[in-house]
Amino acid sequence: MSSRDEDKRLIERTIKGEKEAFELIIRKYQRSLFNYIGRMVGERQLALEFTQEVFLKTYSSLRSYQPQYKFSTWLFKIASNFVIDFWRKKKIDAFSLDERQNSNSHISPLQVAANEKSIIRKFEISQLRTKVEGLLREIPAGLREVFIWRHINELSYEEIAEIKGIPVGTVKNRVFQAKELIRKLLEEKNEVPQH
Amino acid sequence: MKCLSIEQIYLYIGQEFSPAEKKEIKEHLASCSKCKNAFEERKLLVQAAESLPLWETPPQFTKQVMARIFSIKILPSAWIKAAAAALASVSVTLLIVFLATGQNLSTLLLGLNHSLWNYVRNILPFFVKLFKLASLLLGVLQQFTGYLSKAFSWLTALAIWQIQLTLSIIAIILIATLIYGIKRKILVGEKA
Repeated sequence: MSSRDEDKRLIERTIKGEKEAFELIIRKYQRSLFNYIGRMVGERQLALEFTQEVFLKTYSSLRSYQPQYKFSTWLFKIASNFVIDFWRKKKIDAFSLDERQNSNSHISPLQVAANEKSIIRKFEISQLRTKVEGLLREIPAGLREVFIWRHINELSYEEIAEIKGIPVGTVKNRVFQAKELIRKLLEEKNEVPQH
Repeated sequence: MKCLSIEQIYLYIGQEFSPAEKKEIKEHLASCSKCKNAFEERKLLVQAAESLPLWETPPQFTKQVMARIFSIKILPSAWIKAAAAALASVSVTLLIVFLATGQNLSTLLLGLNHSLWNYVRNILPFFVKLFKLASLLLGVLQQFTGYLSKAFSWLTALAIWQIQLTLSIIAIILIATLIYGIKRKILVGEKA
């Protein structure tokens, strides 16, 4: 049985009153959901609370789930809206981030510069992971979100497009911008002073 | 091949190109040190991103969520909520009208029913007449075009093009005279 069919059957069983079937859903998706929420909010304890809340919200809305979509995309959509609501309540202007993405301030040059420095190769891979993890918190939430889905949750561009309701091309462009912004920040923060 | 854009480099790393395109890019990377350096840099970055350590949930996490789930219910689906909201809106509207006009619910419903019936009664005969007239006109038009096409095919089968042209001109003149004559007769009638 495919993962999609398995999810569908588990949801049907849960709706019929077999709450234990939902436990299998939690076991299946808790890790990916926690990694997404954790890296979005940046605090482990808060991320655990939010992951719980998203599962509760998903459970209570199970009758609204449309089986033609993948369950994981629906789950991430609920999680994404949950994080956005949290920022709104805290008056963090998360959605100016989307506006900023549309401005040219974050768009890196499209062509490779003739004098491009080798920044990344200076680091060992373990050092680089630590740097990337840290810089991920500094990039706009809209870019961070697609970066996490693509490179940590390993979702396809099509799945991300479905979650956000945006074209696949826009997703590809945002993922590219996120990586280039991390590289740019890496360059700025690790620049060797010139004497 | 031209030098690669940064986006193309990322798409190449992500295996987003066709085999033919990949081959072309591979050949370019072998001959262009600028693009090769840029590619190596981004490849390392993607490798680091894809191997970031995963955060683990505590072992009792599932049990904690399930303990909370046992106390909550699955909500009705969105369309049931919408239907309930619509019903509630109608009820509230009727209540407001009742409070404002003082009429009870059965009078209101009878009034509404009466207005609706009047509307149907007035509009229905008009649509019936329109339908009859349209079907009659369509029948006449169909017959006329049928005769016309028969006459035309008979004409083209028998006569040479010069005769066809002459007959067509005579027909046009006759029709024009006929229309003119009818118009004149009507005008004379009006004057009288």
